[in-house]
Amino acid sequence: MKPVVHIVDDDKSYRTATARLLSAHGLKVEAHESGDQFLARLSACEPGCVLLDLQMPGQSGLQIQRRLRELAPLLPVVFLTGEGDIKASVEAMKAGAKDFLEKSSTTAALMEAIDRALIQYERQRAGHDRLQAQRALVAGLSPREAEVFRFLIRGRLNKQIAFALGISERTVKVHRHQVMEKLAVHSLAEAVSIAANIGLIDQDTASPAG
Amino acid sequence: MGLGDWSGRLCCTAFFLAVAALSVSSRQAAASDTSIAIIDRVPRVLVLYPYDERIAATTAAGEALRSRLLEATNGKIDLFSEFLDLSRFPEGEHVARMARYLGEKYAARRPDVVVAVGRESASFIVANRGTIAPGAKIVAAGFGTATAEKIALPDDVIGAFSTFNILKTAEMARGLQPDARHLYIVGGSSDFDRSWLTTARADLKQFSKSYDTTTYLEDLAIDEFVERASRVPPDSIILALTVFKDRTGRNFVPRDAIRQIAATASAPVYGPYQTYIDYGVVGGNTVTFDALGRTVGDLVIDAIAGKPASDLEAPQTYVADARQLQRWGLAEKDLPPGTVQMHRVKSLWEEHWVLLVAGSGLLLAQAGIISVLLLERRRRRDAERSAQLHLLEAVHLNQSATAGALSSSIAHELNQPLSAIRNNAEAASVLLRREPPDHELIQQILLDIQEDDQRAGDIISRMRELLKKRNEIDWQEFDLNDVTSSAIRIIHGEAERRGIKLTSTQPPGELPVRADKVHVQQVILNLATNGMDAMLNAVPAGRTLSFATGLANEKAELRVSDTGDGIPEERLIRIFEPFYTTKQAGTGLGLSIARAILETYGGTIRADNRPEGGAVFRVALPLAHREERSR
Repeated sequence: MKPVVHIVDDDKSYRTATARLLSAHGLKVEAHESGDQFLARLSACEPGCVLLDLQMPGQSGLQIQRRLRELAPLLPVVFLTGEGDIKASVEAMKAGAKDFLEKSSTTAALMEAIDRALIQYERQRAGHDRLQAQRALVAGLSPREAEVFRFLIRGRLNKQIAFALGISERTVKVHRHQVMEKLAVHSLAEAVSIAANIGLIDQDTASPAG
Repeated sequence: MGLGDWSGRLCCTAFFLAVAALSVSSRQAAASDTSIAIIDRVPRVLVLYPYDERIAATTAAGEALRSRLLEATNGKIDLFSEFLDLSRFPEGEHVARMARYLGEKYAARRPDVVVAVGRESASFIVANRGTIAPGAKIVAAGFGTATAEKIALPDDVIGAFSTFNILKTAEMARGLQPDARHLYIVGGSSDFDRSWLTTARADLKQFSKSYDTTTYLEDLAIDEFVERASRVPPDSIILALTVFKDRTGRNFVPRDAIRQIAATASAPVYGPYQTYIDYGVVGGNTVTFDALGRTVGDLVIDAIAGKPASDLEAPQTYVADARQLQRWGLAEKDLPPGTVQMHRVKSLWEEHWVLLVAGSGLLLAQAGIISVLLLERRRRRDAERSAQLHLLEAVHLNQSATAGALSSSIAHELNQPLSAIRNNAEAASVLLRREPPDHELIQQILLDIQEDDQRAGDIISRMRELLKKRNEIDWQEFDLNDVTSSAIRIIHGEAERRGIKLTSTQPPGELPVRADKVHVQQVILNLATNGMDAMLNAVPAGRTLSFATGLANEKAELRVSDTGDGIPEERLIRIFEPFYTTKQAGTGLGLSIARAILETYGGTIRADNRPEGGAVFRVALPLAHREERSR
């Protein structure tokens, strides 16, 4: 699925012109006339990146950016402003803005900023997807297999696990085989790496928000 | 634009100017190229004219050059002239013969400087300098830089270039005849005439769009020119280029041809040459021969003195014939500024000044007595006037300060339409390269570009209005609501930037007042920027600046309220005094100027704190038609 560039700008003619320009360059574009409107539609939106006008009536660009970090942390934000404002740009970058552009910037600069943002988005999404997939694999383990898995990644030997769970070492081996199968890994090291990714190694209960 | 412009100034070339050449010491000059030291003899200048001696343009310029040189050297100069007659005898043999002849003729008196008038002379001397005047400095004159490039003048040839601009002449005609609907352009059949016509076509392309018809009268015999010109509709403009030759091959001095045409033309004739004046044209934009002659003279003098010289452009001017203006009933005031008028009837004063002075003497004596009596009164008026001027001056300074304070938000606002225009244009150019191009979308883009252009223009004119300087109060009747709204439009960008909400309430109906609109707007902007500054420390969410207009005590009232900290009680009384300020960067003049402005128009201003916090400024102005407002 092609990522979408979201333009959020209260100035209709700028919004329209920029949307046309980006579409003409082959990007998928959606335009929104205010930050509130964008936030309201966010769940239905195709992700990609956001071109966010800094100065808008209603919620300002910086306020919208703050909300976006909570609602869609993967979505990169490129700020647009009519005229440079050091204070606002510092604030925006500190809050994780991907770029800060003046509206008068060249098309090349604009396209470059968007490309960077989209690449970042793709990379983050890929990472995120991989993580989700790994979580799903782990979630697919039976309760007993999960127990075995937890011992395994802590470096316990089969016999220790068998002792701890009160089952035979042979049964542990069967479970262990099942775990490797289900996680589609070929070595213990790989299994450990998955566990580390999804946060199983530090704590068993919660995984970091992703 | 560049190209059109260039060709537009036609190099007129040939027909124009004459220049002189000076011949200086041949041997020494040959030895050192850049500086000519003339020892023990007067310098020699040879002037080459391209045509025969009847062409007024070249001879007139030559004459101006001659007098300039004689005057600058105290007569210690040898001047020679040669008429090459190259347009009637363009054959290579004639040219070669002429070169040989001049080479021999000047063998014993080699010129120090050669002035080549017109393109033909320039080409001639450049090709034959070794034969005629080896080592001489060459000054070329009477044509434009574009021609100079075309004929590839060597670097060491100095030029006094002149360009003839048919567009400027056409614009002069349009100024004089704003109602004209038809445009006629007259040109002859010689090579020069034809190149002029080509240039004119390019230069007038845009210009001619504002006319119902544009007709080029070309390839005609002289009788046909005359006949056609006598039948054009009266609301026409006739632009005459040159007619060196008509269709039948008959040769003309152009101004004689123009005279025949202008004599019976049924609409005014204009032409870009000074020599056409007196021959029936109304006027045009031209290089005057005097100006050209002097320019060339200066170059020659520098060349004689061995000073390094570089190309010059002869100054251009508008000329008009007062008798023709009268003939066609054209108004002098419609002439471009600085137009030189020829043949203006002398005023009564110029004609009879002695008599008038004597008569006036008697009157003056009487008037003197009366004047003394009036003086006192005048002084008082002057004082009032000067006080008013000072106010206007202060208002203007304050305007500039306000504009400065708002400039970044205005720039911001201007950036929106400009960026939109650029993005739209680039989008359109990408779309155009598609196959097939989306014409409908491109059409829409063009419309949007126009709209944004209009928007940017509006912002700029608002800005200009804000900065407009006045020496007089411009009294007018207007609606206080309108001015308030337009002030709000000016500051809305700034308010947005500062996170301030603007609100405005206006009663139905007008609030007509009589004052200078710009001044009242100035007051409102002052109060608005003060209000916004006052809210710097307020909680962002609550920052609101409110405008409310209405009637109060039979006056038009405007209230500007902010949600800032308010004004400390002890300051309320002093706040309108000059130089009283609470702002670090303030001048302390804004409010005192606001008060001075309002008092000028019979109004008042006062400041208060609002019970709910923040300050409110109330401005009151007398209603313009009190009887119409009954409530």
